[in-house]
Amino acid sequence: MPIENTRNFSIIAHIDHGKTTLSDRLLEFTKTITVREQQDQLLDAMDLERERGITIKAHPVCMNYKGRDGKDYKLNLLDTPGHVDFSYEVSRSLAACEGALLLIDASQGVEAQTVANLNLALQQNLHVIPVINKVDLPSADIEKCKRQLEDILQLPADEAVPASAKMGIGIEDILEAIVAFCPPPKDPGDGYLRASVFDSIFDPYRGVVSYVRVISGTIIRGQKVRLMASGNDSEIKDLGTFRPKMVPCEKLEAGDVGYIIANVKTTADVKIGDTLTESRKPAPEPLPGFKEIHPLVFSGIYPVSTDDFEALKLAVGKLQINDAAFTFMAESSAALGFGFRCGFLGLLHMEIVQERLRREFNMDVISTYPSVIYDVRKTDGTELQVDNPTFLPPANEIEEIREPIVKVDIMIPNENIGDVMQMVMDKRGVVNNTETLDDRRVLLHTVLPLNEILVDFNDKLKSITRGYGSMDYEHAGTQPAELVKMDILIASEPVDAFSCIVHRSKAESRGRQLCAKLKEVIPQQLFVVAIQAAIGGKIIARESISALRKDVTAKCYGGDISRKRKLLEKQKEGKKRMKSIGRVNIPQEAFIEVLKNN
Amino acid sequence: MRHLYVHIPFCHRVCPYCSFYKHTPGNTPMAAFVDAVLAEAEMAGRDYDLKLDTVYFGGGTPTALSEVHLERLLTGLRERMDLTGVREFTCEVNPRTITDSKADMMRAQGIDRISLGIQAWDEETLRTLGRDHAPDDAEETFHTLRKAGFRSVSIDLMFSIPGQSLEAWRGTLERSISLNPNHISAYNLNYEEDTEFFERLRKGQYRVEEERDADFFYAALDQLNSAGYEHYEISNYARPGYRSIHNEAYWLGEDYIGLGPGSYSTAKDHRWQNIADTNRYIELLQSGQSAAQPGEALTAEQRRTERFGLELRTARGLPESLVKAPEQRMIRVLGEEGLLLVENGHIRLTRAGKPLVDSVAVALMGA
Repeated sequence: MPIENTRNFSIIAHIDHGKTTLSDRLLEFTKTITVREQQDQLLDAMDLERERGITIKAHPVCMNYKGRDGKDYKLNLLDTPGHVDFSYEVSRSLAACEGALLLIDASQGVEAQTVANLNLALQQNLHVIPVINKVDLPSADIEKCKRQLEDILQLPADEAVPASAKMGIGIEDILEAIVAFCPPPKDPGDGYLRASVFDSIFDPYRGVVSYVRVISGTIIRGQKVRLMASGNDSEIKDLGTFRPKMVPCEKLEAGDVGYIIANVKTTADVKIGDTLTESRKPAPEPLPGFKEIHPLVFSGIYPVSTDDFEALKLAVGKLQINDAAFTFMAESSAALGFGFRCGFLGLLHMEIVQERLRREFNMDVISTYPSVIYDVRKTDGTELQVDNPTFLPPANEIEEIREPIVKVDIMIPNENIGDVMQMVMDKRGVVNNTETLDDRRVLLHTVLPLNEILVDFNDKLKSITRGYGSMDYEHAGTQPAELVKMDILIASEPVDAFSCIVHRSKAESRGRQLCAKLKEVIPQQLFVVAIQAAIGGKIIARESISALRKDVTAKCYGGDISRKRKLLEKQKEGKKRMKSIGRVNIPQEAFIEVLKNN
Repeated sequence: MRHLYVHIPFCHRVCPYCSFYKHTPGNTPMAAFVDAVLAEAEMAGRDYDLKLDTVYFGGGTPTALSEVHLERLLTGLRERMDLTGVREFTCEVNPRTITDSKADMMRAQGIDRISLGIQAWDEETLRTLGRDHAPDDAEETFHTLRKAGFRSVSIDLMFSIPGQSLEAWRGTLERSISLNPNHISAYNLNYEEDTEFFERLRKGQYRVEEERDADFFYAALDQLNSAGYEHYEISNYARPGYRSIHNEAYWLGEDYIGLGPGSYSTAKDHRWQNIADTNRYIELLQSGQSAAQPGEALTAEQRRTERFGLELRTARGLPESLVKAPEQRMIRVLGEEGLLLVENGHIRLTRAGKPLVDSVAVALMGA
């Protein structure tokens, strides 16, 4: 098929605006799948994706479509992750397209993430086709959506296609719009092989499967190829297209989207954004846009039962094969035993990894308070990066600490401006400017420290705005901050699992909060137990758990002895599930309770 | 085998807090019951080398037996077992179940120690406990026993009873002391499963309050100590020379044989209970069978656990040698916290440690 008849496009949308349903309808309409094969959200293969309605991995699919003009078209849809944690993957997927459908929920209108995703698409010079979805809903307001398209997004509203993916309305119009407005791929025509790797997965039977968009040249079986950034050479064992299952084919040509299988061991060897070329005749320059991705959020992951360490080790190893962005290193904690310091792209990524460990590997894990990576310059001039409070040097050796910051766009109803601005300030953020979107909503452009939005920011936003607020963020470098390490001491023993790096202004309230929570969950002991929060040697918050006074049963004669013994045996057994911190025994559940509620 | 327990499961009225096997006499054929216990005694004589130091008649209410039946039981026992070496022969008595002649008979049959179930000296608390005696009845019974000349009379008391004030408890201790008994047992009310009290606790009508329990416990400790009673076990106080030898045997892990329905025995690392059904018990013994139910074999570790749980309750304490090397750190820790001290190779609980025996025992076991 001539390259002029190929269209590569993506769908960008806010979560829940119907992206996956639309993908499914397009597949049905083009008979890429039959209705019989249907299973809602066909492209979101992972259970977790289906359940949460989010896309984690890219899911390309190739469709054949006969246009109203009578010509046959090859349409490659690149369904991309819809979350900022995966924005690099999104940008690589978008780079493999020439056009994008921008999906807007007719009843919700434009959301913060819509704006962010549109910006990503525009950066890649994609032609954007607006689709107003869910027009069948009684609450749909198509006119309002069109106004928003013009006013907020500066997109021509007359190009917008009204549709309902759920009801199958407007599907053909969307396909026609793709054919009409999405430009065909361009082949530089210099004969060099250039293919962009936009995702990779690990298949236990076939090894690493890389998803590629061929920009120029041809890929065939047996070809010797090279990944230009990593310099690895390998041989193409198999190749094909997605329909939507992987179907082998003879060759992939300029403009095509497909997969290749080469003799590569782990996905870590295939970096997303890398350029695949021919080993014998490598392209003079790689395709632009490649960057190494680094985790930004860190957390210790420990097995609840210390016996499960080996199983956890196996599980994180397996996860990484499929998720090169996830990193782990063995570490140990006096309180939690042996575990791993894990790095994630963001909060959702962290949650997904934890959830996959639980679900796919049946691991019962507990995670420490998430941390970001801090750049520390010591007084002796040396610099280090700290992702674990344990390794923060003593305060007197620190010249400066820089913390990562993020640009956060927050879209909220007008009436919540005051509360949300207050929240941003409480989180040490600044509101750079406020944009009025329409008569109901405003967009706040803010900058916040990453560690302040790690835990409850989104939840708080949702609760202030009764669910109407939405946010999106991108990384914006680092800034110096007055950060300190806060330790929690239980009966004078520091408990590493509860140590954290906090802003000095937040330390006291956080210390008090942690101490109070610990007081609640640590059972009474035989003696008074002091719980203290300390910075360096200075105690900034304290609580104490009063001692038990009486526990003994009254009588102990012939028939009582076995009962008494069983009681003691039960308590002895319970002790095994406790961690002893100095002279205090703390049940594992208490750790979980505290870490969970952070 | 040096210790014998005989369980008489009859009570004229069943108290709502009691978890021992007991019932009202109802239609129980008392003569047959006495015969059955005597048959079991004969069996025990054949199975064990009995060199009895102590005998203990408990219940239920042993004195719920009529004078005639009780006398036949005591005579019969003497005929079947050598009781000449017995140093202590206790019988539990409830107020209003004894007369001068019954007391004299018991004294004559060799009983030298009485444990009198008074529980409280105020009517309100007695009512809560479901006791069928009035304070004056109890006092009268006490004098009857004194008159009969028993070597030792002990009074049983209970505290932390729903509705009982600390003042009422102090009053109960005071009136008990004024009678000058040789021994006082002071039990914190326990909510035992399968009792009416437990059910009321579960329904939220009653509450366990650790602080209250502690206050009542210390009230007893202080008042009885200053009246010259030695606190020799968590719930037991005695004038010098009047400790209960039989009960000390339990706390030191010695073997004992139990006769009667529902009684427990421990011998050679086995513990079992007799069938807790008086009619079945009689039938079994009539047909020459044992009333013992399958029990449990005690492992060395189980026995060690029991020793921690029991010996720490005593004034002598737990031999330090029982604490394994990795656990010894906790002896130091708990010593520093003022809960225990080590003397003459024994770990003894301090005033603060006494009411925390179970937690201390667990802390010392398994590092």
